[in-house]
Amino acid sequence: MERWRAVRRRIPAIPLPDRGVAGRGVWAGTTRHVSGLALLFVAGGMLVSGLVELGAGDEGPAVLLAACITAAVALVLWWPTRPGALDHTAVFTAVGTTWLVASVIGALPYLLAGTFAVDGRPWAVVLADALFESVSGYTASGSTVFGAHNPIEAQGTGVLLYRQLTQWAGGMGIVVLVVMVLPALRSSGLGLIDAEAPGMGIDRLAPRIKTTAAWFWLVYLTLTAMVAAGLLVAGMGPFDAVAHAMSAAATGGFSPRDASVGHWDSATIEGVLLVAMLLGGASFALHSAALRERRFGYWRDREFRAYVVVLGISATLITVLLVDDGMGIGRAVRSAAFNVVALGTSTGFGNATGTGSPGDFTAWASGPQMVLLLLLVFGGCTGSTSGGVKVMRLRVGMAHAYRTLRGLRKPRALLPVRLGPTILPESIVERVAGFMVVYGLLVVTGTVVVAALGADLVTAFSGVISALGNMGPALGEAGPTASYADAVPTPARVVLSLLMLIGRLEIFPMLLMLVAPYRRVRTASGHAIGAVRERLDGSG
Amino acid sequence: MVALGATGLLATVAGLVDLVGDGDDTVVLLVVGGLLGVGAVLLRAATPPAERIRDANVLVATVASLVGFLLGVAGLLLATGLAPATTSGIVDALADATAVGTTTALGVLQPALDDHAGRFLLAGAQWLGGLGALMIGVAVLPFFGAGREFADRSRRGGRRPMTPDQATAVRNITAIHGSVSALTWVAYAVAGAEPFDALLLGMATASTGGRAVGAPLDTAALQWVAVGGMLAAGTSLVVLWRLVHGRARNLWRSDELQIYVGLVVVGTLLLLLWSDGGGPDGLRGAAFTVTAALTTTGFPSAPGGTWAPAAPILVLGLASIGPMVGSAGGGFQILRHRILAQAAVREMLRQMHPRSLTLVRLGGRVADEDTLSKVVVTQFLFVSVLFGTALVVALGGLDLVTALGAAVHAISTAGPVRTVDGVVVDPASWPDGVRLALLPAMVIGRLSVYPAFVAVGAGVSVARDRVRIRRRWRSLGGWRRARGKVNRS
Repeated sequence: MERWRAVRRRIPAIPLPDRGVAGRGVWAGTTRHVSGLALLFVAGGMLVSGLVELGAGDEGPAVLLAACITAAVALVLWWPTRPGALDHTAVFTAVGTTWLVASVIGALPYLLAGTFAVDGRPWAVVLADALFESVSGYTASGSTVFGAHNPIEAQGTGVLLYRQLTQWAGGMGIVVLVVMVLPALRSSGLGLIDAEAPGMGIDRLAPRIKTTAAWFWLVYLTLTAMVAAGLLVAGMGPFDAVAHAMSAAATGGFSPRDASVGHWDSATIEGVLLVAMLLGGASFALHSAALRERRFGYWRDREFRAYVVVLGISATLITVLLVDDGMGIGRAVRSAAFNVVALGTSTGFGNATGTGSPGDFTAWASGPQMVLLLLLVFGGCTGSTSGGVKVMRLRVGMAHAYRTLRGLRKPRALLPVRLGPTILPESIVERVAGFMVVYGLLVVTGTVVVAALGADLVTAFSGVISALGNMGPALGEAGPTASYADAVPTPARVVLSLLMLIGRLEIFPMLLMLVAPYRRVRTASGHAIGAVRERLDGSG
Repeated sequence: MVALGATGLLATVAGLVDLVGDGDDTVVLLVVGGLLGVGAVLLRAATPPAERIRDANVLVATVASLVGFLLGVAGLLLATGLAPATTSGIVDALADATAVGTTTALGVLQPALDDHAGRFLLAGAQWLGGLGALMIGVAVLPFFGAGREFADRSRRGGRRPMTPDQATAVRNITAIHGSVSALTWVAYAVAGAEPFDALLLGMATASTGGRAVGAPLDTAALQWVAVGGMLAAGTSLVVLWRLVHGRARNLWRSDELQIYVGLVVVGTLLLLLWSDGGGPDGLRGAAFTVTAALTTTGFPSAPGGTWAPAAPILVLGLASIGPMVGSAGGGFQILRHRILAQAAVREMLRQMHPRSLTLVRLGGRVADEDTLSKVVVTQFLFVSVLFGTALVVALGGLDLVTALGAAVHAISTAGPVRTVDGVVVDPASWPDGVRLALLPAMVIGRLSVYPAFVAVGAGVSVARDRVRIRRRWRSLGGWRRARGKVNRS
């Protein structure tokens, strides 16, 4: 290892164009370094899947070929570069670029294996579908373009394993993985994890960033192993158990079965997954405390309490409504609880055994569907793998609204925003308020765009919310038994892919990655125009 | 007192108008109007002038006045027999009174053509509701802690400001609203409507109420007049004030006005594109539908052709955006959207440069942080009420699209609700519970959100102070502990 490091030190870094502060620029060294390293992990996943594929003797070595290409691209990005200091813009650029690159390159196995080249579909549709599936995997969304026209179960083991691995890697975050093995980032690592982590920042689990990242992955690994063991005991086969455990821990929702969890129609399996999803949607800081210090402070945590209470109330309400509609009490409890937790934690597993079956929530009355629509917005706890707005943000939003309304009644009072006994700094309140505003604007704009591209109102609205919250299924045509390939037109799927990426990184990093180059170009062009004007004035 | 006075005035004028028609409600309306008027005068005389006016009290009084007015109108509808005195009739009266009083086009009562009193009651309640909305938005909220986004701009109104103080604001608002109504009335009459129908249409247009029973907009000329009238009603009073005073030179520099006009033009073109429309008739139909939605007037119109999936979303979106701040229209309103967009950009800049001091400008001036914060909270409450209403309505039995549409229209005080193919839904087909569930959203939307919540908060405080549950519970706990000690000893 030391020798390897010595070799690396001797190779000079490719000089970058002069851009002022080190680390700035979309393709500056650190960005390329982080992206390259992340791609190496992606290639590792592909390699494992490819080897499994070879072992199973399913198909040709398409996934292995994809692993080789990805590794080559990764080396080109990683080898000649060094990580350096990062300013705020560069942090967002690095994280955004890494996710974009990983998602795009992650589509290679599907393209090379011809997964979506069915029924003579045009190459643009195949490309869009591969990209959609890849983005959905890495962002742990669980939306899929597989369907009756192209069943999941007809795919090779390698592709199926790779599909599950994309979610598992994306659930915790590939940048967290990179930070764990990249000590040179030092304090910038915290910024990178912070930009990637769901919620309003990360809880530092250890003094060192590297240790913090390692702890996150250890907790994640433990949770996955526990769920896999539980599913094995509940009656799943080994491959299915591991695959579903990865999905549940990542709150992703991919399943190697066409009917998802409905394939087994087993209350025990659904029960194990329900607990797994609940744990996946809870803060990893709580899990870490439980694992390291045997301190089970779940119920003392106000956010966790609110999270469980909201899910409990929703499940109870839906159960009552389903029973009122004529469903048996046992089936109603099972369907309501599973789907509420699946959507409330942004996992998106389905327990429908077919279209119109009790678990198919698009066949329910409008009341229960509206509750599920609200849960699509809801999301899990801060510091978990789940998507959505998050309980903490909603609590801060409510506390902010309460403070403002109290302020109208007591105009001279200095009223802080409180969450329980804690007084929140104004900067956090403003950050949450800003998030809400941007989230609202994205939902409205996305709905209009997706509808303009041909989706109906309910599918467009719920699909956009689902994509931004990395939920997976939506309402309308994009229900738990449906395929996005049938629900929305191809251009709309590209828009939803972009929204999934934006949602996974909690909106700002991806948007800023798009805005930062524009601002730089604008500044540069402003300087150039100013210089030309000065010259003209001088000559005049 | 305001509610009594307004209801009394409405009843008296409706009674007089009924003389032109069948005249069978004249006596009832005049008697009720007279009694309410006397009641208002007595109440005014009995109320001592307040030594200190608190913002919250004014907001609570505003809510009480609006609710009192709506209950008064419901009473008049029942008294004139327009709604029968049955349970369903009472629901109809309450729902219709709230719909017209909040200028929401979601009513169900259909007075006969010769029932001039009934028709005038509905149109007049709308007109007073529109006037009330202007008073709340321009003369109340900006002076009492909320709605400062309007005050930020209008207070520097040059040589002749429109709202230098409340009394002048009230006078100017009444003058402008009256003038717009009168002009619209004349325009409708010139375009071929009967004088009484033109009056009802003028009232429905100027107030952005959209309910003119028995006065159809069935000709091209009438529809174009309606488009013009709705545009004027959705324009900020400041713009109209400056136009009246010949200070129109820099008017077009207003971002909000540019966006308003831009939305009408772009919305019309998009609806034309998404509804298979074409030719002058298609253009007129699209312009009419878009203007009715954006200004939250809600005149019903049949879809011109086959609507694309995006068309109903466009109409719904326009209704939720709403017209300019300082107009009679509802919705979230353009200026607030603009503030939100600026807040969003600022947040993005802050993410890149956390230590930078980024300011938001409104009309060239730096906006107050408190104003920005209140607009953001308004959005949060607006969306919360919207989804809460949609949930209750969906639980009441409406399908998802209709439930979402009804909730958006109720909080935006717009209407009518459409199906996905653009056909107007008749609210009479909804269950009573659903129609009642929409009423709070209409009231909250008409009050620009804040006063309603402040009033609810004040009500909760009063109830809490009276009941003192926590203290009683604690004392009960103390008693139990004491009893436990006694038992142990």
